[in-house]
Amino acid sequence: MAQSGLARSERINGWLFVMPALVLLGLFMIYPIVWSLWMSFQVGKGMNLSFGGFANIQRLTKDPVFIRALINTFTFFIVQVPIMITLALLFAVALNDSTLRFRGLFRTAIFLPCVTSLIAYSTIFKSMFAVDGIINQTLMALHLIASPISWLGDPFWAKVTIIIAITWRWTGYNMIFYLAALQNIDRSIYEAARIDGVPAWARFRYLTIPMLKPVILFTTVVSTIGTLQLFDEVFNLTGGTGGPSDSTVTLSLYIYNLTFKFMPSFGYSATVSWVIVLVVAILSFLQFLVARDRKVKSS
Amino acid sequence: MSGLKLRNVKKSFGSVNVIKGVDLDIEDKQFVVFVGPSGCGKSTLLRMIAGLEQISSGDLFIGDKRMNDVDPANRGIAMVFQSYALYPHMTVRENMGFALKFAGASKEEIAQRVGEAARILELGALLDRFPKQLSGGQRQRVAIGRAIVRHPDVFLFDEPLSNLDAELRVHMRIEIARLHKELQTTIIYVTHDQVEAMTLADKIVVLRDGIIEQAGSPLELYDNPDNLFVAGFIGSPKMNLLDGTAEAGGIRLADFPGQLLPSPVAVPAGTPVTVGIRPEHFDPEGAAALETKVEIIEHLGGETYAYARGEGRTLLTLATDNNRTLKPGDRYQARFHPSALLVFGKDGKRIR
Repeated sequence: MAQSGLARSERINGWLFVMPALVLLGLFMIYPIVWSLWMSFQVGKGMNLSFGGFANIQRLTKDPVFIRALINTFTFFIVQVPIMITLALLFAVALNDSTLRFRGLFRTAIFLPCVTSLIAYSTIFKSMFAVDGIINQTLMALHLIASPISWLGDPFWAKVTIIIAITWRWTGYNMIFYLAALQNIDRSIYEAARIDGVPAWARFRYLTIPMLKPVILFTTVVSTIGTLQLFDEVFNLTGGTGGPSDSTVTLSLYIYNLTFKFMPSFGYSATVSWVIVLVVAILSFLQFLVARDRKVKSS
Repeated sequence: MSGLKLRNVKKSFGSVNVIKGVDLDIEDKQFVVFVGPSGCGKSTLLRMIAGLEQISSGDLFIGDKRMNDVDPANRGIAMVFQSYALYPHMTVRENMGFALKFAGASKEEIAQRVGEAARILELGALLDRFPKQLSGGQRQRVAIGRAIVRHPDVFLFDEPLSNLDAELRVHMRIEIARLHKELQTTIIYVTHDQVEAMTLADKIVVLRDGIIEQAGSPLELYDNPDNLFVAGFIGSPKMNLLDGTAEAGGIRLADFPGQLLPSPVAVPAGTPVTVGIRPEHFDPEGAAALETKVEIIEHLGGETYAYARGEGRTLLTLATDNNRTLKPGDRYQARFHPSALLVFGKDGKRIR
């Protein structure tokens, strides 16, 4: 049956409305994504590229810097994300208490780091964590350490410094999500539990956490993606080297170095980029799998 | 099992006094209903008994023990909330058994108590469902079940039926009455619905602006209200209240200046009064009468209410002994027994 004129004109109008967005999306998102996938199979230096099949993937397995970067990235992810999520949750619960004074002040103070300038804060962190910086001086004054720690000069402490920096910056951001979710929970649920004699720790463990599960999943996935793409803090705190001796180099920093600092090898850096995509996809899938709702039993 | 005593209990939030000195005795196994308009402090009073709100001054005794500073969990109470407050991520079974785990009950004991509550409330088939799969009435029953498993001395209900539709509300009302019979515990129940109060209570406590206006059995409050507020609040449809002045030999109403009504009580001449008569106390056999003109007729089938007026502005509600032939515009002689009249002074207090 022939379409009526009205339906036809609505269809054309509809396409006209979405067309600008589609063109821009295609041009700036889909095209680069497809092109980078194509690039990841190219070998060669600079502009001198040729199709290399799986050569780049083979190179990955034998590249010590890549393996180091992969391990570093995972270390940051495994240590930092749980610490930050737990801290954010504890802060949120503490700051949701209506009897706490200066709540607004505390909330703002904890949220502020994520809106501060990246360069400003990493510069300050760099000076704070210098060998003669305020952190070492304080720790020594408190007699917690006998001699200064070489925060950014030691492979282990450099990682710790970076974890402290990103935790400082992003905890408040995650806390805001929890605060919003907590305010949606019916207060009488907690009152009922209190009257029934459920202790405070159990109210947190068995009521708050399960009821926040969707938000915890969301923040975990977002933080995972953020940590796997970690670049800025490492670049700024280590002067772009990922040092000492590649001990803090991350996948993103390695991609940057491959593309812009070493002899450019665009094809190989595209391959490393796709590794991040793959890892993020797998981890997000696993997180959804772990957090999925219990199957509702049909009785 | 235990009664409650409240002695000059007060509550203020900052400079705002919400409860202004409440004295109340609640006997063991009594069903007590706090009723009053919104903002009268009835929920606050209940929450103070529960321990969810601090008592600013005065004493609260449950049994013989002063409970002002005792943790809510140790007061021997259980509470059912208006919003049900079920744990959304737990099944019905887990909802009811959750708190028992922290009271040190064994698995067998929890299962046994949950089973018992499920039997009383007929929840057996729903034990593995989640709250979101239940209807409002079922959720309410789970909330009650969660209270029952703790075997409390005192049940507190905070407007438990407000979120249910009218039909279910009547059904649950009967369920709660049955439950009180079966459990034989003290119940304190808050509602703004005077029908719920009348049907459920052994003792009604009418609250307004943080003070008790009157406390007593439902029929006591209906037959013998202490003041205008209670007279107007208890009973449905509402009592008719008419302004008038006492004269030698009777009361003259402003809306019926041509008639002198016989007064059931002695009032000095010249005293301004308010006269109350319930719609259902109009009786064709009555000795006294008011000449009215019918404006609106409501047929309920079993009863016909007429809304009628004298010469003033007050619209009277009259039960007409199911007079189905009445029409708007008719003249109607509203007869009643003079003894049915209640007389109140200008301060709102009953003149007896």
